[in-house]
Amino acid sequence: MLRIILQRLLTAIPVLLLVVTVTFVLIRLAPGGPFDEERAVPAQVLENLNKRYHLDDPIHVQFGNYLFHLLQGDFGPSFKYPSRTVTEVIAAGLPVTLELSVYALLVAVLIGITAGIVASLKPNSLQDYVPMSLAMIGICLPSFVLGPLLILGIGIGLEWLPVSGWGVSPGDKILPALTLGAGYAAYLARLSRGGMLETLSQDYIRTARAKGLSEWRVVWHHALRGAMAPVVSFAGPAVAGLLSGSFVVETIYQIPGLGRFYLQAAFNRDYTMILGMTILFAFFIIVCNLLADILAIWLNPKLRRNLEKSR
Amino acid sequence: MSETVQMQGLAQVEKGRSLWQDAFARLKKNKLALTGLVVLIVMVVLALLTPWIAPYSYEEQDLSLGATPPSWEHWMGTDIFGRDQLTRVLYGSRISLMVGFIATSVALCIGVAWGTIAGYVGGRLDAAMMRFVDVLYALPFTIFIILLTVVFGRSMLLLFLAIGAVEWLTMARIVRGQVMAIKHQEFIEAAVAMGMSRGRIMLRHVAPNILGPIIIYTTLTIPSVILLESFLSFLGLGIQPPASSWGSLISNGVETMEEYPWLLIFPAVTLSLTLFALNFLGDGLRDALDPRASLD
Repeated sequence: MLRIILQRLLTAIPVLLLVVTVTFVLIRLAPGGPFDEERAVPAQVLENLNKRYHLDDPIHVQFGNYLFHLLQGDFGPSFKYPSRTVTEVIAAGLPVTLELSVYALLVAVLIGITAGIVASLKPNSLQDYVPMSLAMIGICLPSFVLGPLLILGIGIGLEWLPVSGWGVSPGDKILPALTLGAGYAAYLARLSRGGMLETLSQDYIRTARAKGLSEWRVVWHHALRGAMAPVVSFAGPAVAGLLSGSFVVETIYQIPGLGRFYLQAAFNRDYTMILGMTILFAFFIIVCNLLADILAIWLNPKLRRNLEKSR
Repeated sequence: MSETVQMQGLAQVEKGRSLWQDAFARLKKNKLALTGLVVLIVMVVLALLTPWIAPYSYEEQDLSLGATPPSWEHWMGTDIFGRDQLTRVLYGSRISLMVGFIATSVALCIGVAWGTIAGYVGGRLDAAMMRFVDVLYALPFTIFIILLTVVFGRSMLLLFLAIGAVEWLTMARIVRGQVMAIKHQEFIEAAVAMGMSRGRIMLRHVAPNILGPIIIYTTLTIPSVILLESFLSFLGLGIQPPASSWGSLISNGVETMEEYPWLLIFPAVTLSLTLFALNFLGDGLRDALDPRASLD
């Protein structure tokens, strides 16, 4: 088990390096320098700026420097706002985005998996159709449609909850978390229903029932673990989706998180900012995929044995 | 086992492409999928005919009119420039659907080619090709697309390529799995024994047998492509004005949703309706073409 984890960890490193390299090269390919403004900057100023940010070094030296600083957690200065460093902006936005993502994930897991299990216990009955229809609606209502609708209905129409800000007025975190989590709740509901249906038809479940265990015990202790395999393998991509989903949700609800900073940087062509944040996002996604991978192996002894046998 | 295969083979000779007739019969019984198909056809026809059936011209402004709620003259109301919202939604459909179909075709071509070659050739090449897919899977693609739009400017062509380049990965995996499963069946061995060339086997025997899953997955890729484009356009990184897609219309609608909610509601409903139609059709096709896979 430990060996598998170590091996996965080792394969993550070249991927991360690839991301850094590709992003760095892409940014350098961009037409126009970072200091191109509507007003032409005097040549002398431009030269000084280039010197200050070491843009006149050969590109491999720049890359080496960037990597070196990156390893120390230093993403360099922002090209657009020289008074702030990328690290500062990330430090300000990351906790907000992480908090939002965790709440959204909670919404998704609690609502989604519960709905999926409930639906799977009586397939093709009302108990199945109602949650699964809701799940279909959840999948077809993207966050940038659901969010405004929630604002219009619950925020402005009923005036139940505040519709902007983060931690400013009580309850202002509820709508953003719901908006971000709803789509994933829908996917998880479908996945866990599928997983449960398959597991419930297995022999060991029949054995458990034959032993006279209560239905609740059969579901909770015996079926759930087996049924969670597709759910866990969805978790990695889901976290990636949560991050990009946070772009929309943070924009709609005016939340000062990473997603909004990233979009601002994209519109401002703030190259170092984009570079830093892309690498950070990639890092998160790779780590989450890794965790999901390991969790899946741990949950499924058959998979584990196969992997250990194959070496 | 070999007997049943033979029997199926005989039945197919008698009744022509009975698998497809079978599947169509199953699909016809699925009301939701059929509704989806009808909605989709209506959408596509409307989008194709837009230049002739749109009640107003795309640029026509009437500043004195301003934003008005839905009425007999303007079924979906007008926006703040007095432009007819129905006309804008119709033109938006053209772009959203076009992105959906073209980017999906890009994904389809790359994915099928990649998956077939990896699955059929197998061995080291397969391992290398699938490892490449695994690596790409781990990358934050939405973010890369945003990065690309920043670096190369926002153009429609880039959008097609970038979205297509993201969506082919799953297609490649599915196709490879199918090819691997088919490769070891008796009729392929028979074809090899008869001295058929690799290319011919792929074309004549492998390709028709993996068509089902490809159709299913294509139907399910289109909505996710449309969604991705709308997502980018909503953020202002996709389709640029004066052109508009559903995503950019929704984004405009959100800005004024308190005063003029109909500017948000109509494009949002159109987008969701299309997504519903495609998803139901995709689910229905999966049930019809591959009854075993319909568990989830």
